[in-house]
Amino acid sequence: MIAFEHVGKRYGGRFEALAHLNFRVARGEMVFLTGHSGAGKSSLLRLIMRLEKPSRGRVVVAGHDIAELHASQVPFYRRQIGVVFQDHQLLFDRSVFSNVSLPLEIQGVEPREAARRVRAALDKVGLLHREKALPVELSGGEQQRVGIARAVVNKPALLLADEPTGNLDPQLSADIMALFEDFNRIGTTVMIASHDLALIARLRHRILRLQDGRLVADEGAA
Amino acid sequence: MKRAVTPRPTGAAPKGKRQVAKPARTSSKPPTERRGARSQQTRFSSRVRAWGRHHRAMALDSLYRLVRHPVGNLLTMLAIAIALVLPAALWLTLDSAKLLDAELDESATLTVYLETTVDAAQSARIEEAVMADVGVETTRLISAEQGMAEFQQSLGIEDTLAGLEDNPLPASIVIYPQNVEPAAMAQLAQRLEAFSGVDEVRVDLAWVARLRHLADLGRRVALALGVLFGCGVLLVVGNTIRLAVESRRREIEVVMLIGATHAFVRRPFLYSGAWYGVGGGLLALGLLGLGNHWLSMPVAALAGSYGASFVLPHLDVTGSTILLSCSTLLGWLGAWLAVTRHLSSIRPR
Repeated sequence: MIAFEHVGKRYGGRFEALAHLNFRVARGEMVFLTGHSGAGKSSLLRLIMRLEKPSRGRVVVAGHDIAELHASQVPFYRRQIGVVFQDHQLLFDRSVFSNVSLPLEIQGVEPREAARRVRAALDKVGLLHREKALPVELSGGEQQRVGIARAVVNKPALLLADEPTGNLDPQLSADIMALFEDFNRIGTTVMIASHDLALIARLRHRILRLQDGRLVADEGAA
Repeated sequence: MKRAVTPRPTGAAPKGKRQVAKPARTSSKPPTERRGARSQQTRFSSRVRAWGRHHRAMALDSLYRLVRHPVGNLLTMLAIAIALVLPAALWLTLDSAKLLDAELDESATLTVYLETTVDAAQSARIEEAVMADVGVETTRLISAEQGMAEFQQSLGIEDTLAGLEDNPLPASIVIYPQNVEPAAMAQLAQRLEAFSGVDEVRVDLAWVARLRHLADLGRRVALALGVLFGCGVLLVVGNTIRLAVESRRREIEVVMLIGATHAFVRRPFLYSGAWYGVGGGLLALGLLGLGNHWLSMPVAALAGSYGASFVLPHLDVTGSTILLSCSTLLGWLGAWLAVTRHLSSIRPR
């Protein structure tokens, strides 16, 4: 699903965010990405989302070499990837329902079908009763769950999450992780960047450990 | 669209029938795959429908956003309208001047003055000879006596001239040429001057030519103004849309993160621009009508005092349609330029 081959990423000529990255993630795997802040977790995710191109090496996601994607293909490439952001990136002038339906709107899904899928996604994250609420009326944990619902509403093959439990208390964090495990169980490849070591150690999935842009450990690979 | 793909049997068959026909395949594949196979058959038509749906939604959404802030948007439209009214009014005025021009063409003549020694019989022969020229439509002979009478009449000085012993005026022939183009008339004058017995040929061209040049100049000015003010409309709309893009920057970043194409992001802004154009065009039409109403009385009075019946030109249906289409197009184009320029600077974080 994901293959990094000798990937390096430099910003502004000098600062090396990532170096000599080599790893593969199989379809249907669940992987944690960890390391201190600034270790390159976000840069790695940004490469997969094709927000940036690697300075060196190849990044291949779902069969696409991301450096070779034409700008006009990028939107269609991104539609295969669900992303959960640390700051959830919700639109605050739209209801929960309309936030979640945004990816379907972009893909032109027929409204009745879209509504069905949005409700299914909201039901999955336990927020069906809040569909008419505005994001500001929700708690941090609820907002994050709306973000997750939006990421999974179009059933992406790959689900990325950048510090999804960043600002949540342990119980909420565990709930969120359990949600990701549920999606992984139905075949979605999941990659989660997190520095909550205690939590991810309990979950017994593969862990990629980054340090100063290098892969220093690949533990618990299946 | 659906009909075009019917030759593929599995896609065209109803769901239940297909399951019967290929039980092994459908049962081995998860339900999502089945849906995928079917949607592939109708993907194009459903994409077209989705595209149409989004267009409709964005047209309404942008209109709603416009109506939600009526004052500011009305000012923008008014700016567009004013920019359109000026060249349109000038053009209209020149258009009616063109009608005057056509009337003037009828009165474009040459006057051939014969030598004073030429008598009546000779002048009739000269007129005949002149008539033979291909460039001449008709002629009118004015004998020396007639000329004198007309002269006296026009001046009202019969008594003074009656004291003269000899008639000092020559006979003359007024010529209505076939071609009233200045160049053709000048050539004709040259030919006529070579006739014996002809003293002088006067072409009353200068003022016709001047008027033509003036109208030509006016039309060019109107066109230049039109282009300039058109650019003005582009800038007004572009600036408004730029601000709109800026205020929705976050939204744009988010939708681009989750796979929106540039066309998708651009669409609501293009509709906003087009709406600005429509609103500005309608206001411009209103202003033109108002101006016409405001000026028609004094213009009619003025024309009446000259014994003319000049009516201020109205913008007819065609003209109104052209104005409205132009302003809509300009609004759309201004929005397109602004969004396209701006989108490249927006990168999702």
